[in-house]
Amino acid sequence: MIPALHASALAVPGRLEAVSVDLGPGELVALVGPNGAGKSTLIQALAGLLPAHGIVRWNGQSLSGIAMAERGRGLAWVGQEAQFEFAFPVREVVAQGRYAWGDDPSGVAEALTELDLAHLAARPVTRLSGGERHRVGLARALATAAPIQLWDEPVAQLDVRHALEVMRLARRLVDAGGTVLVSLHDLRAAYRFDRVLVLDQGRLVGNGGPHDVLTAALIREVFRVKATFVESLVPELPEDG
Amino acid sequence: MRSRLAIPALLALLVLAFLASLAFGELRLSFGQVLGALTGGGDDIARTVVRDFRLPRALVGLAVGAALGASGVVMQAFFRNPLASPGLLGVSSGGALGAVAVLALGPMLGFAAAAMWALPLASVVGAFAATGAVLMLAQRGAGTERLLLSGVALNALLGAGTSFLLTTTAGHFEVNAQILFWLMGGLESRSWEHVWMGVPAILVACLLLLPLGRAMDLLSLGEQSAQSLGVDVRRLRRQLIVLSTILTALATAVAGIVGFVGLVVPHVLRLAFGPDHRRLLPYSMLGGATFVLACDLITRTFPLGLRLGVVTSLIGGPFFLWLLRRAR
Repeated sequence: MIPALHASALAVPGRLEAVSVDLGPGELVALVGPNGAGKSTLIQALAGLLPAHGIVRWNGQSLSGIAMAERGRGLAWVGQEAQFEFAFPVREVVAQGRYAWGDDPSGVAEALTELDLAHLAARPVTRLSGGERHRVGLARALATAAPIQLWDEPVAQLDVRHALEVMRLARRLVDAGGTVLVSLHDLRAAYRFDRVLVLDQGRLVGNGGPHDVLTAALIREVFRVKATFVESLVPELPEDG
Repeated sequence: MRSRLAIPALLALLVLAFLASLAFGELRLSFGQVLGALTGGGDDIARTVVRDFRLPRALVGLAVGAALGASGVVMQAFFRNPLASPGLLGVSSGGALGAVAVLALGPMLGFAAAAMWALPLASVVGAFAATGAVLMLAQRGAGTERLLLSGVALNALLGAGTSFLLTTTAGHFEVNAQILFWLMGGLESRSWEHVWMGVPAILVACLLLLPLGRAMDLLSLGEQSAQSLGVDVRRLRRQLIVLSTILTALATAVAGIVGFVGLVVPHVLRLAFGPDHRRLLPYSMLGGATFVLACDLITRTFPLGLRLGVVTSLIGGPFFLWLLRRAR
């Protein structure tokens, strides 16, 4: 099977060293690592937003051979920063996800509902909280209908319920055949993913199922903390949604 | 405000300002006389005043205002900063220095600075040289912050050059007055030659900008996100810089430095109608043209030696402050 996202010897001087990885369709992948490990750099390089050495392929096609508009339809990227300088209404910002589709508005309303933004649709993005702005970025990415979704710390600023909803959304996209790569800091949340990538100082030091990769030894090595497995409160979305 | 009414309302204001520009002045004409003169009727004096003096002046004013309004929108989207203005990359101060250099050095070098084409040409050369220098200093593909800082540095340098020439010519009253005229902008004695020099190219650049509005929406909310959504950001940035430079350079070449239009007009219209660039671009062209014509009318109505560039700032500044207070 052709991987949805392929990178070999992907490198950005001083930030990322020869990372090679394949992400398949239908895979939900977590990217973890300490601050400055290169998570955002890797995500941006995979998205073609950063000059990088090495090879990146989307669905087997070399990135350099993919036209800009086609890129906009093939992969969606959500950055860590969600700062908007101009007071576009929320609906307009989400509708920008349809740029590469000639601004055909299908999916915009659904994306707003999905990220619980319908009631804020007319509000200027400059008058949102940090968490709400992140949800606008996610809704815009969702509106692109791109099968590959790269989200850089999407839940760091969200409350527990919205964070769980974003995770449920990611799972649903993956179940429909998509590929979702999510960077995060919450190692406990990483256990809910199909696969975990661990970056440390620009190198890929872990790549596999969460229970195989996120061992106490690796966590100690990479994050310099002691990890113990204990029972604790685990919030879940209720059965009725 | 209802955006459906924006274009008709802005157009009506522009037509009004344009007709008033043709009617008011030392010789007060009625709108009927103006229309008569335009269509070839009326008396000889009215026809000469309207066709040879006021019409070219109004056309130059209209084009300068539209150019500065549009250029302001472009720079604000480019730098993702509502406080950016057309002169940010040194275009207008480069244009001013070019013209001032011809005015100051021309007599010494023995060529006539009065030659119709000499000043505008020197101004355009100076403007493009300045922007080129900023782009080179900031290096190709560098981030907007670096570009901005290079622009600030170059603006200071060019301003110093202009001030130096101004003080070295302090003994020559005539030259000095011409330089000041240039630095404060104005539409006095604009002729049909100035119309042909500036207006067609400004019109073309404005028309080329209009289809870029949608991509500018995306760019104004972030370069990387715009690129990820399918905008060819490198190409767009190049197009925007070139068009904005052409607009500001030509406006400066035919009217000197006219400040504040590019900042205040897009800002006001954005507050009134929202930040959508597909609308903001044409609105700012119309609004900028109206604003410059109205300010020029004021310089003519109150003969206090007011200069166009002074009036735009004198009116634009307080109005802007009032608006900011109200918008909170």
